[in-house]
Amino acid sequence: MAMNYNAKDEVDGGPPCAPGGTAKTRRPDNTAFKQQRLPAWQPILTAGTVLPIFFIIGLIFIPIGIGIFVTSNNIREIEIDYTGTEPSSPCNKCLSPDVTPCFCTINFTLEKSFEGNVFMYYGLSNFYQNHRRYVKSRDDSQLNGDSSALLNPSKECEPYRRNEDKPIAPCGAIANSMFNELFLIGNDSYPIPIALKKKGIAWWTDKNVKFRNPPGGDNLEERFKGTTKPVNWLKPVYMLDSDPDNNGFINEDFIVWMRTAALPTFRKLYRLIERKSDLHPTLPAGRYSLNVTYNYPVHYFDGRKRMILSTISWMGGKNPFLGIAYIAVGSISFLLGVVLLVINHKYRNSSNTADITI
Amino acid sequence: YVGHREPPPGAEAYIPQRYPDNRIVSSKYTFWNFIPKNLFEQFRRVANFYFLIIFLVQLIIDTPTSPVTSGLPLFFVITVTAIKQGYEDWLRHKADNAMNQCPVHFIQHGKLVRKQSRKLRVGDIVMVKEDETFPCDLIFLSSNRGDGTCHVTTASLDGESSHKTHYAVQDTKGFHTEEDIGGLHATIECEQPQPDLYKFVGRINVYSDLNDPVVRPLGSENLLLRGATLKNTEKIFGVAIYTGMETKMALNYQSKSQKRSAVEKSMNAFLIVYLCILISKALINTVLKYVWQSEPFRDEPWYNQKTESERQRNLFLKAFTDFLAFMVLFNYIIPVSMYVTVEMQKFLGSYFITWDEDMFDEETGEGPLVNTSDLNEELGQVEYIFTDKTGTLTENNMEFKECCIEGHVYVPHVICNGQVLPESSGIDMIDSSPSVNGREREELFFRALCLCHTVQVKDDDSVDGPRKSPDGGKSCVYISSSPDEVALVEGVQRLGFTYLRLKDNYMEILNRENHIERFELLEILSFDSVRRRMSVIVKSATGEIYLFCKGADSSIFPRVIEGKVDQIRARVERNAVEGLRTLCVAYKRLIQEEYEGICKLLQAAKVALQDREKKLAEAYEQIEKDLTLLGATAVEDRLQEKAADTIEALQKAGIKVWVLTGDKMETAAATCYACKLFRRNTQLLELTTKRIEEQSLHDVLFELSKTVLRHSGSLTRDNLSGLSADMQDYGLIIDGAALSLIMKPREDGSSGNYRELFLEICRSCSAVLCCRMAPLQKAQIVKLIKFSKEHPITLAIGDGANDVSMILEAHVGIGVIGKEGRQAARNSDYAIPKFKHLKKMLLVHGHFYYIRISELVQYFFYKNVCFIFPQFLYQFFCGFSQQTLYDTAYLTLYNISFTSLPILLYSLMEQHVGIDVLKRDPTLYRYHPPNSLS
Repeated sequence: MAMNYNAKDEVDGGPPCAPGGTAKTRRPDNTAFKQQRLPAWQPILTAGTVLPIFFIIGLIFIPIGIGIFVTSNNIREIEIDYTGTEPSSPCNKCLSPDVTPCFCTINFTLEKSFEGNVFMYYGLSNFYQNHRRYVKSRDDSQLNGDSSALLNPSKECEPYRRNEDKPIAPCGAIANSMFNELFLIGNDSYPIPIALKKKGIAWWTDKNVKFRNPPGGDNLEERFKGTTKPVNWLKPVYMLDSDPDNNGFINEDFIVWMRTAALPTFRKLYRLIERKSDLHPTLPAGRYSLNVTYNYPVHYFDGRKRMILSTISWMGGKNPFLGIAYIAVGSISFLLGVVLLVINHKYRNSSNTADITI
Repeated sequence: YVGHREPPPGAEAYIPQRYPDNRIVSSKYTFWNFIPKNLFEQFRRVANFYFLIIFLVQLIIDTPTSPVTSGLPLFFVITVTAIKQGYEDWLRHKADNAMNQCPVHFIQHGKLVRKQSRKLRVGDIVMVKEDETFPCDLIFLSSNRGDGTCHVTTASLDGESSHKTHYAVQDTKGFHTEEDIGGLHATIECEQPQPDLYKFVGRINVYSDLNDPVVRPLGSENLLLRGATLKNTEKIFGVAIYTGMETKMALNYQSKSQKRSAVEKSMNAFLIVYLCILISKALINTVLKYVWQSEPFRDEPWYNQKTESERQRNLFLKAFTDFLAFMVLFNYIIPVSMYVTVEMQKFLGSYFITWDEDMFDEETGEGPLVNTSDLNEELGQVEYIFTDKTGTLTENNMEFKECCIEGHVYVPHVICNGQVLPESSGIDMIDSSPSVNGREREELFFRALCLCHTVQVKDDDSVDGPRKSPDGGKSCVYISSSPDEVALVEGVQRLGFTYLRLKDNYMEILNRENHIERFELLEILSFDSVRRRMSVIVKSATGEIYLFCKGADSSIFPRVIEGKVDQIRARVERNAVEGLRTLCVAYKRLIQEEYEGICKLLQAAKVALQDREKKLAEAYEQIEKDLTLLGATAVEDRLQEKAADTIEALQKAGIKVWVLTGDKMETAAATCYACKLFRRNTQLLELTTKRIEEQSLHDVLFELSKTVLRHSGSLTRDNLSGLSADMQDYGLIIDGAALSLIMKPREDGSSGNYRELFLEICRSCSAVLCCRMAPLQKAQIVKLIKFSKEHPITLAIGDGANDVSMILEAHVGIGVIGKEGRQAARNSDYAIPKFKHLKKMLLVHGHFYYIRISELVQYFFYKNVCFIFPQFLYQFFCGFSQQTLYDTAYLTLYNISFTSLPILLYSLMEQHVGIDVLKRDPTLYRYHPPNSLS
């Protein structure tokens, strides 16, 4: 009768003969990855961990904020709006297109002296350099010195592509609307205008990589032969400056303009006023005058024009927001810490669960 | 036409029909149509189509971003998907080629020819040797065995590894050589190809030289299916009847309808919301643009003039292109790579199930299988589980416990250490010893058990020592598709009657005195789940003809006219309460004339081409009546290990567990108590046929609902005051007949009432047991719950072929890789070796997948809003000119790599709660963080 039991055993316990008879075990590997046992950590937020974090954030952020705020406040900055839409403004006369060229002088006073290098900007408002039609309207290969693109600019440049059957160099709306006013700053107590440095205001990559003059001989005019100046320009591109290293497409004023601004109110670097010696401030406090060669109309589109003088620090230009933001976050965090500490202290004993798990 | 191309003389007019060749094509694409067809399939997906449109818009009109920025990600996504699908298809091609080119032996004009399998045509005669698989569906003509049988295993078709016997056509089984077969003239009529593996009706006309054609019925026992393997038989001849894509295997390949997960649906809802946001953003900007531009100095300042053609364009056209341009600008709000990332996450994530060591079963060497990875996260949301009882909750490992003959109870001998005490006669009498008459009945009963089955004997000559029985008798292993039968035959063997084999239609039995008794097997009235019984008609050596019938008590008792019905019924009910499976045995002595009548009846039904099943059932109905009750058997089915533990955990997790079984109420209820589905304090509500007979269905339903609802009113109060210890929960028991009454649409069409009421009751019960269920009813129940008001996620788990319909119906179908074959596992979405693995599958894996996928999807939408909203705000500062805020490369890569890879890794690894914690505390299953999708 033993056979019965064995026969039963065969039916019950024996593995069903798998097709192919694979003897290889299909048991999965016992590895941490496959069994989902990789080491893990999960923050559990309790009063014991949250409160110190609030206080630490508060204690770290408030001093940083104060530091930044003070630095920002030490930066000297002055903005002079010379649009001239107000009748009292000296530049008011220049609004009519008949007066060319038009010069106007604006007087201003520096309350405190400007130390270190001073940066001179021009600022425009309501000028949509970020409009898509405007942004597209350029030919990068032409600006990079490509001779075929020079004579046959990209279609993107329309309607500033050709003028009088000649290709425009540089083509496009951006180049055509280049800012072309001239500033001079004079000190009342000193007759000679302050020296303004033209070079060093553009990005190195723009000046040396993106922008190149077309190939050819020494004579820049020769190299631009067959092209015409943009409609609104007074001079062709090869006469932007006398310095051959700052002329043509690699003129730094031009390069700065071609890097379009992201917002309709923007400022662009115009000149540098370099510090002469450690002893004297670059611009001592006192009365100054700004001479503007006024030929850039902005009042058609409600624009404003400004001239800005500013020093810089390790954190860039004047920016009180960052410091205030740090101080605000730090204070709120500290305050929350105090409130939670009070709550925790008051209610810890009333409830059994001391740890507030979230 | 067998063996010959032209019809034999005298055959009726022949309508030519086109048969496919024997090429199996499971691949979707060919080399040529891959690109167009695959592209077409991919662009049917809404998101892909959307990006294609955006891409085309960018090509046509002047847009802020170049076509590359949206074309490249789209190209990337399409390429990745195409490569994946192409690779899968290439594998299918390779498999197809291997299949189509394997050599096959043909008989042509009496000679043996070897050909490639794909050149096989309908009507060709094929020779198959042992251990070869059949190249197409064949009608079994003859084998080298004298009795015209062959053994076949269909392991690759339905997973049943048992050998099945197939029978050759009576008139052709004499042809043993190629020449004989070559000379055969016959025609075969059969039904159109259909995918049911176990059904086939046909008719063969054999033309002898002179006589009229002989008509023979063909059934599934004559049909050898493609994919099955020939066993224990040296070679057979068969005629190809279905070839290529018409074979039953190929027809079964057709993929089942795709289930979509709820998260995917909510993902689509999100997409639509985002599309609305996108369109409204674009509209707002377009309108604002024209408002802002109404002053000419803004529209066209001196520094930024338009071209002539731009000025002349139609205003509406301009507005429309502006709208499209804004659409293009903001189109990144719809994450292009989301589908790919989600699919990758699901695909890779599903490996964690197959890799899970805890879900690997040592005994069978099987791990879990993932058939679809689309439903991973559904595992974390299941609200209803529908489980089969046999083989799922229980082991399906039957053991013969006792039998009851004429009210006397016999218990087979207790097995001690695998040895049955040899000197005993094998029976312990519990009741008084039977009279002489009883003795006769007893022997008849055992003979009935020995004869009335479809068990096969597998000769075990190869096995060694211990398997040989002491008396030198042949050891054998019984194989059957039903484990009950094996248990019964083995049980009877222990009682002294050994079933030896079926040989030439004679069943041989070794009786207690070691004499071999031979019975001629005349007919088998095979088992089906509707009749719930089977019968055999045998002729004993003395020439007496018996009909033995074995089946469920409910189907036997009404047909009994004699015998100690009451005693046996009492015993059966007692056994059922103990959780044993009971079967009743009855017999009828037939006289020759009766038998001939039966033969005629059966023959007529079997030859019928149409409605054969119905006619057969009617014939069976007529034959199986006026029986004499012999006795009943009880077979124990042990619970699977940790089944109770698992069910308890699942119930704690807030999942409602329903047991759907074909067993009778008492048995099923006992199992439910054993596995803690019902607890001691559970108040059982019965909705059974018996009660409905007493009262009307209407009253019963209302009464039940009143009980339940009154209670649930107090339940909520209980919950408020915390969990009261004596909180009572309800268990509902319903049987198939009552259910069909509820489901049946009433004349006035207000069936909804009953259904609603029934659902209401069910919802308030913690556990529901549905017994006496037909497979289709199981699916019906699942459907009923699936489409009820709350649209809960349902999960069905089962192991047998009768569970397939509910597995396919439920949101998630889980197959238990069990003994009843692999059909359930093949049709399921996930297959696990044991029921207990369901716990980890749902509570751990399901939970993780749900959390992971919801965070993944939400992150995708979140990051794109973060990405695009500044872009939207920027339009206010750039004159609504569609200027982009970001660089082109950033726009392109943001979606396809910068933000999709980190979250993919996160969504594969994230475990917000440890595995052990989830296993320990099932209630966490219901707790989803408030930010998950639902």
